[in-house]
Amino acid sequence: MNASLFPKLAVGGIKKNKRIYFPYMLTCIGMVMMYYIIGYLQNSKALENIPGASAIVSTMSFGCWVVAIFSCIFLFYTNSFLMRRRKKEFGLYNILGMGKRHIVRILVWESIITAIFSLVIGLLCGVGMSKLAELILINLMDGEITYSFDISLGSVFLTTSVFGSIFILIFLNSLRQIKFSSAVALLKSENTGEKPPKGNFILGFLGLGVLAAAYYIAITVADPVDAMGWFFIAVIMVIIGTYLIMIAGSVLFCRMLQKKKNYYYKPNHFVSVSSMVYRMKRNGAGLASICILATMVLVLVSTTTSLYFGVEDALNLRCPNDINVTLRSNNFEGENEKIISELRDKIISVADARSCKRTDIVDYRGVAAYSTIEGSNVKFTGVRDENNSSSVSLIYFVPIEDYNQTMGASESLSEEEVMLYAHGKKYSKETITFDGKKTFRVKKLADNFTKSGDLAVSVVPTLYVIVPNLDSSLDGIIKDGETYDGGIASNYWVYGFNSADCSEDEQLEIRDGILPFLRDLLDSDDDPGNGILSARIESKAAERQSFYSLYGTIFFLGIILSIVFIIAAVLIIYYKQISEGYEDASRFEIMQKVGMTKREIKRSINSQLLTVFFLPLMFAGVHLSFAFPLIRKILLLMNLQNVKLFAITTAVSFAVFALFYTVIYRMTSNAYYKIVSGATDRK
Amino acid sequence: MSILNVNGLKKVYSTRLGGNKVEALRNVTFSVEEGEYVAIMGESGSGKTTLLNILAALDRPTGGCVILDGKDLVTLKDSAIAAFRRDNLGFVFQDFNLLDTFTLEDNIYLPLVLAGTHHKEMKRRLDNIAKKLGIAELLKKYPYEVSGGQKQRAAVARALITGPRLILADEPTGALDSKSTDEMLRLFADINRGGQTILMVTHSIKAASRAGRVLFLGDGEVFHTLYRGNDTDEQMYQKISDTLTLISTGGDIK
Repeated sequence: MNASLFPKLAVGGIKKNKRIYFPYMLTCIGMVMMYYIIGYLQNSKALENIPGASAIVSTMSFGCWVVAIFSCIFLFYTNSFLMRRRKKEFGLYNILGMGKRHIVRILVWESIITAIFSLVIGLLCGVGMSKLAELILINLMDGEITYSFDISLGSVFLTTSVFGSIFILIFLNSLRQIKFSSAVALLKSENTGEKPPKGNFILGFLGLGVLAAAYYIAITVADPVDAMGWFFIAVIMVIIGTYLIMIAGSVLFCRMLQKKKNYYYKPNHFVSVSSMVYRMKRNGAGLASICILATMVLVLVSTTTSLYFGVEDALNLRCPNDINVTLRSNNFEGENEKIISELRDKIISVADARSCKRTDIVDYRGVAAYSTIEGSNVKFTGVRDENNSSSVSLIYFVPIEDYNQTMGASESLSEEEVMLYAHGKKYSKETITFDGKKTFRVKKLADNFTKSGDLAVSVVPTLYVIVPNLDSSLDGIIKDGETYDGGIASNYWVYGFNSADCSEDEQLEIRDGILPFLRDLLDSDDDPGNGILSARIESKAAERQSFYSLYGTIFFLGIILSIVFIIAAVLIIYYKQISEGYEDASRFEIMQKVGMTKREIKRSINSQLLTVFFLPLMFAGVHLSFAFPLIRKILLLMNLQNVKLFAITTAVSFAVFALFYTVIYRMTSNAYYKIVSGATDRK
Repeated sequence: MSILNVNGLKKVYSTRLGGNKVEALRNVTFSVEEGEYVAIMGESGSGKTTLLNILAALDRPTGGCVILDGKDLVTLKDSAIAAFRRDNLGFVFQDFNLLDTFTLEDNIYLPLVLAGTHHKEMKRRLDNIAKKLGIAELLKKYPYEVSGGQKQRAAVARALITGPRLILADEPTGALDSKSTDEMLRLFADINRGGQTILMVTHSIKAASRAGRVLFLGDGEVFHTLYRGNDTDEQMYQKISDTLTLISTGGDIK
């Protein structure tokens, strides 16, 4: 046989099936492009200069993995649609005297053409878009924009090898299908009659049960630290539950509808219910995939967007003051007291040297220890017990003079009295006892105490105990960094202020000016009386940079992955419509012969499409609302406390997605109508 | 009283660019009386399918008229045609045209559901017909679970359930084995004896020999008609067979 015949046949095959091939190639191109862009950003030189670049590299390499694995699964799935259509043609060639060997040669050419076409166009688009993506990312990260243009050969190589392997795997899979089926089987493969499924009670109810359990977990998990672990379990359960319900549950549901004669034997329901039950088994998987993809997109978009737009909130929470110095020592006596007052003077001189006005000054000492509160008794546990984090509280003793100074108040306490400020967990007893040894009367509950960044991100409830005098009040309870029974207690000195009239650069200078003093304190081994355990400075300006680069990257990746998932969902929808169109065309032709009007046909198509189409969206909405409380708790860990922001972004994401989904519905159902009416118009 | 009048029917197909014209029906004229069993015979390409499509109002003629039960199908509006077809015509096809998504029962109900009949009424009607056709036991099965003859009986039930004025059968035995064919033809004869008007298109002599009258279609015209009179099926078979021999050997029939 003439060797040039095979490429010709391959090209002809692709052209003839362009309705199916075109979207497939488009998807390949899209995936290649996304992969290249993510790979490019990972190695981008422009991003190297931005603080927090390491976060970009690790986030992006995670993104690379996700896209690669997802592309592999997804391209396999869509290729199966293609093969279903192509098999008939191959069967015909086979019957006309072409050997399997020859068919394989056609297949080889087809795969080569598809692979080269997708890779070349995908890479070109990727190179073209990568700079844009980089600019967007830099902008999101609040970084310096550079206008150099380059191609990352590393990423080109990686993309080519990843997608090359995927294409080879897909080819091998098609090969397997051709090899193991006879000519007649190939010829008939497209219209292999499928048994109408029997509703499977066990699977249907199992799905319902798994989903209900996942929802229950999502709603009831109280502790943010636990939430992270439970989240992944719940996600897996939701995926399993969705697939079971869509595949088995929906058939069950339709069967139930069929039993209701008054409902079933109506022109509108009759045709749509029966064809739904018929195709649910196969297409249930497709619907479930669409639903899962939709949910993933919604979760990704809503969380990453609210994280990004909540970055200032998170920053303010994490760093309540522009500059914050925290010193931890084993006591506040003697040498340490001197160190503190010297350090205070140094900080003030550094700040004042830059003519920055210090406002909202925070200056207090405190002793902190982990404890469990039982009734009115506080029992020190010494360490934070991770397994039991929900019952642990952090107790913070602060002397009244420091409280008054920091808050600008003039409270006074007698020896037996304390004031309380509770964060996270209310305390409503009249007295408070420590380790069963010492009891104080609660004079009043303070409305507020200075916010500390540690406190804000701490998921552990905190109780501030304002005592009349640190030494005498704690006598017998805590001494020299140890609780009575040898547990750890920490002495803190916190000094912070705002300097709103200073530029960010000046604030960074202040931080850099103070930093050496702190280093000196820690390094001074020659000073035997130095009991300083740690010394830390936090500058909001510095934190802002790293916050923006981290959250900007996460946001960007969230959007990129969402686009990938959306492409996938759209393609599944499109193929579903197309393949159903071909199936239904003959069915509607028969119905027309039996006496169904065009209008009735159209109406029945509409009601069917509508139900099948909006089922995944509805499910995604339900999944999302049940996931809301769980995700909110996880966001707490990531410094986002703004529930309103998260609720709004979630609602907006859903609305936008629903709109987009409707547009897709319109477009793909047109393709469906064309196929179906193409058959009914043929008289 | 004639239930169907076909007068001067003409159908011309033209290729897409309007170049070649093919005359499928030139001048077809015949009528069918109430309660009659008429078979239309013809070679492939004689215009049988075109005629049937026009009678079923699935296609429109180029000229002439089709009057069914006093209504001119040609001038009927598109929107009314489907309902008219549903209420007045019953169809039996060579390839059954049962929907594989429905059980046999639901397949039979289809035209009634479309007409908005209450399900109790549908059940009542089906019970009668199913017994007569011997498919009462098969109603809950799907088309792929039953034999060709059983499928065709279900299709006949679907055609009968609306109580149509006329049943149009297009090669109803074409896809059946000989045993099923005999059964099916007996069934058609029974139905006809019950007063049902049947118009059957076929090229099987056996099928046509059961009819009361046989029209021969060729070159777009009805060029010969055979009446049964008091003949038995066997005699009718012989007459049809002789006629066909004459046609194929080029003899002139008068």
